[in-house]
Amino acid sequence: MAVSAIYYDGESARSHDVEVSENGTLISFSGTGTPYTSWSIKGLHAIDAPAQGQPYRLTHYDKSGARLIIRDDEFIKTLVSRSSHLKGGYSGRDIAHIFGWTIGGLAFVAAIGYVAMVLLPDKVAHVLPETWRNRVGSQMEAAMAEGAKLCHSPAGDAALGAMIANLAQGQPDLPSISVHIYDIPVLNAFAVSGGKIILTREILAKADGPDEIAGVLAHEIGHVAHRHPEAQLVRLTGMQVLGSVFTGSNGGDMTTNVAFLATVLKFTREAEAEADAYARDTLVKSSIDPMGLKRFFEKINKLEGGGGDHSSAFSKLGGIFSTHPGTEDRMKLIEPLPAGVVAKPSLTNEQWLALKDVCKG
Amino acid sequence: MIDSPDIAQPVLERLSFAYVRRPGLWKIMFTNLGMGIITLTVWHFWGKTNVRKHIWSCIHINGEPLEYTGKGGELFRGFMLVFAIFILPLLLLTAGLGFYLGPQHPAISGINFLFAIAGYLLGGFALYKARNYQLSRTNWRGIRGNMAGSAGLYSLTYFGNILARSFSMGWATPVMNVVMSEQMIGDMRFGDSAFKFKGRAGPLYPTYALCWFLTLFVVIGGAGFLGYEIAQWSGSGFDAAFKHVFNGQGEAKPTVDEFQLVGLFALGILGLILVYVLVIPTLWAIYSAKEMRTLANYTRFDGAQFKLNATAGSVIWLALGNLLIIALAVVLAAGLIFGAISASIWMGFDKSTAVVIMTAIFVVFVYQGVWALTRPIIIQRNIGFVFRRLTLDGAVDLNRIRQSVAARPKRGEGLADAFDLGAW
Repeated sequence: MAVSAIYYDGESARSHDVEVSENGTLISFSGTGTPYTSWSIKGLHAIDAPAQGQPYRLTHYDKSGARLIIRDDEFIKTLVSRSSHLKGGYSGRDIAHIFGWTIGGLAFVAAIGYVAMVLLPDKVAHVLPETWRNRVGSQMEAAMAEGAKLCHSPAGDAALGAMIANLAQGQPDLPSISVHIYDIPVLNAFAVSGGKIILTREILAKADGPDEIAGVLAHEIGHVAHRHPEAQLVRLTGMQVLGSVFTGSNGGDMTTNVAFLATVLKFTREAEAEADAYARDTLVKSSIDPMGLKRFFEKINKLEGGGGDHSSAFSKLGGIFSTHPGTEDRMKLIEPLPAGVVAKPSLTNEQWLALKDVCKG
Repeated sequence: MIDSPDIAQPVLERLSFAYVRRPGLWKIMFTNLGMGIITLTVWHFWGKTNVRKHIWSCIHINGEPLEYTGKGGELFRGFMLVFAIFILPLLLLTAGLGFYLGPQHPAISGINFLFAIAGYLLGGFALYKARNYQLSRTNWRGIRGNMAGSAGLYSLTYFGNILARSFSMGWATPVMNVVMSEQMIGDMRFGDSAFKFKGRAGPLYPTYALCWFLTLFVVIGGAGFLGYEIAQWSGSGFDAAFKHVFNGQGEAKPTVDEFQLVGLFALGILGLILVYVLVIPTLWAIYSAKEMRTLANYTRFDGAQFKLNATAGSVIWLALGNLLIIALAVVLAAGLIFGAISASIWMGFDKSTAVVIMTAIFVVFVYQGVWALTRPIIIQRNIGFVFRRLTLDGAVDLNRIRQSVAARPKRGEGLADAFDLGAW
């Protein structure tokens, strides 16, 4: 059976009317200006899958520019029924390639991610040179202080020194730290790289006794001792690279940011638990009442509106993105000094008043 | 080949363009969505290829469809190559420098500035290379296209265009668009035949000036309205109301009046934003239409002149439709995200599992969903718009057009994909 078709020879844009026939192994065509040509059916390639009423476009691997366009549905049906490779679409090999690359790529990213996020940060944090730790720490301190006044008074500074000395009594290998108090009206305390600890005016204002501040300070020193801020910076850098690698060209920033935040905060929660443990240990060894820290947590809990309905969807979502473990969980772990140990005040009354007023100077 | 009998007689044909929609795009879109999820976006390159294959095949020239012969693997390999030799080293370098100097170091902004310049320079290069790849994979009557010029040269023009436009407050736009079109269109080949582009930017300026001054008027008007809003509210207890509404902790609860006050203010601001978002692009549609018509007029192929019947109204209609499609998809995606999060919590997943689910949902629905289910439609609308309105005045000697002898690039669009420039 011969049917009419159009042939483009791939050399010029001129169209050629031809008559086409096939015998199961060869497809042959000829017409005015087109010499008799035979193509092997095995070497044919369908540009599109055949569709009823649509012209069927064929080419041959030996003549990739040439096109044979057939409109006869019956002819197309016969041809395709005998040669499944003319049905178009993806071959099993194509699909295997795509999935191979996907799985290989994911495994690669996961392996690199594990090294960059889990294995490396703590190790790198402990070998970073002092100059780097201090330089970056100073930058971060300046960024967090945002130009707020650094609080100073001779008596206040002396009191702070005394509190650190009291904490160091039971913990002789206390890391080298510098503590600065800023006139910031937000209740917070941070440790940044290089052993720099920042307390805010508000945290002093909200504390009802020196033991509460000693507890907070011991917690921040815990971060310094474990090099958490440094490890976090390593992790952030790894996250930044991995985020871009994983999303590549086709990832929205939103995706990276969410994954970024969730991963970083997961490690933050672990770091908080470690710093709590360090604080509890230091306070007991220095005979400072750990219940001060507990009282402080109770205050935070109250401010956060703790004790409410924790089963609601929004409080659960909030938990995913909270930096600190549940305050109530943390409080449970704090126990009084062992029986027989007499609590020493972390500061005298005068020292405490001087410290509380340090931002008024 | 010169003595071939076909060559001797010219085959003059008038070419007509049409965009003939055919079924199958939705199937491709949903396949892309599904495969995007399964392969965690690696499918992107194959999905893009399938969309192009479909859309190309809807563009008919004298009843014969265009054919896209590109392969997903070519785009994938192009991207991987650029990723390995360019993106990864750059990422490591910036991250390493950022880490070494510290996040707040003043040199960081300098380094970022240098990278931005490098990015802008490479942007033009990427666009040109992508055009070359697309043309080399576009067949009509068995003949493919290519770009005959230098991507490096174009990247300089592109960079100059960015500088000129920013330093001239936009006034260089018509000149630069004509210069860039001259280079981009002038370098385009179909087989061995060249497109020609010649024309001046002068005729574009009256419309540009009109749009520019109208925009200025709208901006000044908006600023005046904002000033009036602030002046009207200040001193009427607005500060306190604002604090009460937005700062719950430790402050008094807002009264109904205060809510109303803040609500009215917010409504004013929202109205202003809406005016900006809708009015300014609408104004510029007048210029867009004029520019499209003019640039088409300046383009010739084998002596025949292109004409594009683009009116401001039709451009606005096109843009509004596209905006609506995206808005609908975003609303749908937001609904799905909210539903999935609520469902995962309701089903009692622990927090870290919920994080993973949430992250996956963000990837899947917000990006994949919106991309997979809107971009093909928008591309179809944009391309359909052009090919339904494009005409070619004059006949073309098709017999004279011979196959391109330019080498076909082996891989495609790596850089453009990296910069997300290869939209279609």
